[in-house]
Amino acid sequence: MKRFYVIIAVVAVGGIAVVGFALRGGSSAASEPVDLGDIANEDLVALAQGMVYGNPDAPATIMEFGNYQCPACQTFALQIKPQVDLAYIETGQAKFVYYDFPNPGFPHSFLAARAARCAGDQDRYFEYHDAVYSTQQSWSRPDSPFGHFNDLAEQVGLDTEAFETCLDSDRHADVVTANLTLAQMLGAPGTPAIFVHREGEGGAQRLGGFQFIDIQQAMEAGQAN
Amino acid sequence: MVVAVLALVGVFLTFYLVAYNLGWTPPIACGAGDCGIVQSSQYAWVGPIPVSAIGLGGYLALLVLAIMGLQPSAARSRVIPFLLFAGALFGVLFSAYLTYLEAMVIQAWCRYCVASAILITLVFVATLPELKRLWGRR
Repeated sequence: MKRFYVIIAVVAVGGIAVVGFALRGGSSAASEPVDLGDIANEDLVALAQGMVYGNPDAPATIMEFGNYQCPACQTFALQIKPQVDLAYIETGQAKFVYYDFPNPGFPHSFLAARAARCAGDQDRYFEYHDAVYSTQQSWSRPDSPFGHFNDLAEQVGLDTEAFETCLDSDRHADVVTANLTLAQMLGAPGTPAIFVHREGEGGAQRLGGFQFIDIQQAMEAGQAN
Repeated sequence: MVVAVLALVGVFLTFYLVAYNLGWTPPIACGAGDCGIVQSSQYAWVGPIPVSAIGLGGYLALLVLAIMGLQPSAARSRVIPFLLFAGALFGVLFSAYLTYLEAMVIQAWCRYCVASAILITLVFVATLPELKRLWGRR
């Protein structure tokens, strides 16, 4: 019996060492908004950079404040945005700008937003954006979606080591937080919140809906809402 | 004795997966395989419970039973050998089902799950002498 307990003790110590090493330090990844301190509004707006798709000099801008974990945003990304791309982005009439709005109630949305921006570091933002939305049901459920985001990075063809280093840090946490704060300041009621701005007109107009017809009317009438 | 040692290894293996499922650990260390795909799939959970937690519970139960069975006071027990055999058999069948899901449905392999499947098979084989002793006492 003594020999048995010695073996058990050796296995236990070895197991604790191996698992402890694997879990060392836990995750250092920022997965929720960070404290931006007492930031001035103009600094906040400067920090809250959206991700631009299309011709940056296009006369109109279609902005989305989106949440990667929100099902309606998935619908917009996979069904509505392709129509917008075809009608306005690819024709050079407008550019599309995506802002993060990881509003409360969606525990992985902040991390997903950071993951997409980590992909953006490698100039593959919108490919990753589409992949994250396409697989929303797969990564929304687990308590930890890290593995899924890393696998998506590989599927999209990113440098996975650089991506994982980025994701397992607080990189872009300030920008995503600034995006979220900006959305709240603009009074975005939920996600997706769509705004359209046409050159020569005043401020951007928030649309009442997110269907293609809403954007079409705003673009053609020159006014929204 | 062998069952207890193998079950203890299984405890650590499944604890790591539980830690991953519950977000206590950084990105899962995969090396070869698609652990992330498997662990992020709908089959990694039974309702609110990670499958890995079921495995952890199973290995803990086998560990406790194996240690109890080694005590002199349990030398004549017929319940413990039976529970060890039945538990290991259930574990093998459950692992076979999970391996089938990896191969045919998810089409991705998690090396930790494969390691656990091998481990529970070894546990099952190690319980066979217990069964023989169980029959022998009749």
